[in-house]
Amino acid sequence: MVQTHHCEDHETVGENKEKRPKFFINDHVDILIEILKRLDGRSLCVAASVCRLWCTIARNDSLWENLCFRHVSPPPSSVRSVVLALGGYKRLYTGCVRPVRSRLGRMRKASWAGDEVQLSLSLFCVDYYERLGGSNSNGRLVGESSPSSLMFLCKPVNV
Amino acid sequence: MVLYDSATLGGSCSGSSSSSSSSKPPPLQQRQQTQQDIDGLLAGAGYRVRSSELRKVAQRLERLETAMVNSPADLSQLASDTIHYNPSDLASWVDSLLSEFTQPPTCPSEFIMDPETNQTVVSDAWTTAEPHMPQVHQNISYEQQSLNNQLTVVTAMEEDSGIRLVHMLMTCAECVQRGDFSLATSCLEDMQGLLTRVNTVCGIGKVAGHFIDALSRRIFQGIGGGTINGGSAYENEILYHHFYEACPYLKFAHFTANQAILEAFDGHDCVHVVDFNLMHGLQWPALIQALALRPGGPPLLRLTGIGPPSPDGRDSLREIGLRLAELARSVNVRFAFRGVAASRLEDVKPWMLQVNPKESVAVNSIMQLHRLLGSDLNRNSPIETVLSWIRSLNPKIMTVVEQEANHNQPGFLDRFTEALHYYSTMFDSLEACTVQPHKALAEIYIQREIANVVSCEGSARVERHEPLSKWRTRLSGAGFRPLHLGSNAYKQASMLLTLFSAEGYSVEENDGCLTLGWHSRPLIAASAWQAVSDGTADFPA
Repeated sequence: MVQTHHCEDHETVGENKEKRPKFFINDHVDILIEILKRLDGRSLCVAASVCRLWCTIARNDSLWENLCFRHVSPPPSSVRSVVLALGGYKRLYTGCVRPVRSRLGRMRKASWAGDEVQLSLSLFCVDYYERLGGSNSNGRLVGESSPSSLMFLCKPVNV
Repeated sequence: MVLYDSATLGGSCSGSSSSSSSSKPPPLQQRQQTQQDIDGLLAGAGYRVRSSELRKVAQRLERLETAMVNSPADLSQLASDTIHYNPSDLASWVDSLLSEFTQPPTCPSEFIMDPETNQTVVSDAWTTAEPHMPQVHQNISYEQQSLNNQLTVVTAMEEDSGIRLVHMLMTCAECVQRGDFSLATSCLEDMQGLLTRVNTVCGIGKVAGHFIDALSRRIFQGIGGGTINGGSAYENEILYHHFYEACPYLKFAHFTANQAILEAFDGHDCVHVVDFNLMHGLQWPALIQALALRPGGPPLLRLTGIGPPSPDGRDSLREIGLRLAELARSVNVRFAFRGVAASRLEDVKPWMLQVNPKESVAVNSIMQLHRLLGSDLNRNSPIETVLSWIRSLNPKIMTVVEQEANHNQPGFLDRFTEALHYYSTMFDSLEACTVQPHKALAEIYIQREIANVVSCEGSARVERHEPLSKWRTRLSGAGFRPLHLGSNAYKQASMLLTLFSAEGYSVEENDGCLTLGWHSRPLIAASAWQAVSDGTADFPA
């Protein structure tokens, strides 16, 4: 039924029965997710601007979880609850894992992959803690800018 | 800007050649080879250099490197159409290359090292140049050039002023040590005049400025500390936080200590951490997260944070505790916090910590133990008191992080010289940080330390840093044995450093302890200790 609906967008009603139905990826969300799961971070962000459906899917945290732990043996299940509590996988990836990986890429050793994620998690936690401070401030941190512990990971010119 | 060899500075130093620790490879040995003119070691490597010319050649090699680093355009030209002399005759080879990098005509007064006398040939202000000064000049101009990317030509005048500043700082410090305050005052005035001619935004000008301030504080305001020590706890926390953000020393300290504590708590279900200086509690989120994720599940974590009392009724310790508790709750770690407000660490008594006999205790001291080294003749040495009650708690681990510097010597001049080296290196490393306002406030944080080391005495001087070797002796003598920090801590520290964009940091392992330094000068050392059990461990009531 969905197929005919989409066919109507492209052809006149009269030609429906003659043409072969087109394959439209948005009809197969499960395949779409499998494909998007394998993208790198930048491509995933680009994919999020394609259409509303892709945007919704790309916001799904499990995709980003995959990205974080792609080169690492699957982590224990307790990691997920911790990461979600601290702000989610997308934030973990964009804030910590990606900069850590790119900085360490120069001198990366294969055995470090797990440690990179560990370090990213720790930095992520400190960042969460600082965000807590920013929102709970009773004027105590007046003048403090918002979370800054990850600033050292930002390069001065970052596209 | 790194001043490598303290023996080369100081007005009273003799002019004899000092160890050339600053020379670039091949390493030079300063053995006097009176019989053989050619240095034997270099001959083995294929270079013919006269022993008498060793230091001069080293200096020129450094200059050549500096020039090459700062003028890449000339370098390619050099590669294509220059006649290269025989490189095994190192002296003339480096001279010929150096002459390719002549300074532009706008700066006519070039520093040329005269081979015979080792004095500067063209210079207007150097009348009594001591033979060892040029070595310092090389080092400073090297670092200054690597700092100022815009200034590819450091004017001779500025180099000259930088050297004179250091020279005069030492002279002034020596006068202060002798008690000759009138001469010291006139020195100060001269230095302040010199400062106007030197770039004070970075490099030696900035550091010298802070030391000049500290000296004038000492001379005019006395050694009581005054306004420098009067900063409120709130201010100190803010500055500390910015120092945390601007450079990796505190992050290194926290992560290394956390790793050691994590490993020590392996298998224990009831753990208690005592933090000697809570500040904003930035160390503990990472430990809480690591405990949450450890195989076997998180333990019950109790944290006792010691900190100065807040003057205006705010309970800052409690606020930090609440924040940490919220974090712990989010990640499902059972957590309890207790704050102990004390203005000095020696005022803390073990019963205030309420240690439960069944739990495993970790004591964490980040740059706090050195404050106890001031000795008051009327009472017991505070460091011994504190170390003994720490021992009575029978902690599973005590993590100690201290500045790797010798700022507790009795002689003022020695202390001053040490501090000049140490803080120059630290400011050097801070140059790499580009994030404001962290950098500016971190500098104020360091400046306060400098002022305390230089201008205070007695109980006002709390920044009594001692090097790792002295702490080892002291802690071993107090009944502690060292715990090796392990390869995980080293790996983590190396990774952490790689994240910082500056390339000069280095982590080194020193007999089970880790040190973090800038360009192979260690600046901060982390170690772990355990109380030697003698069978009579007792718990406070």
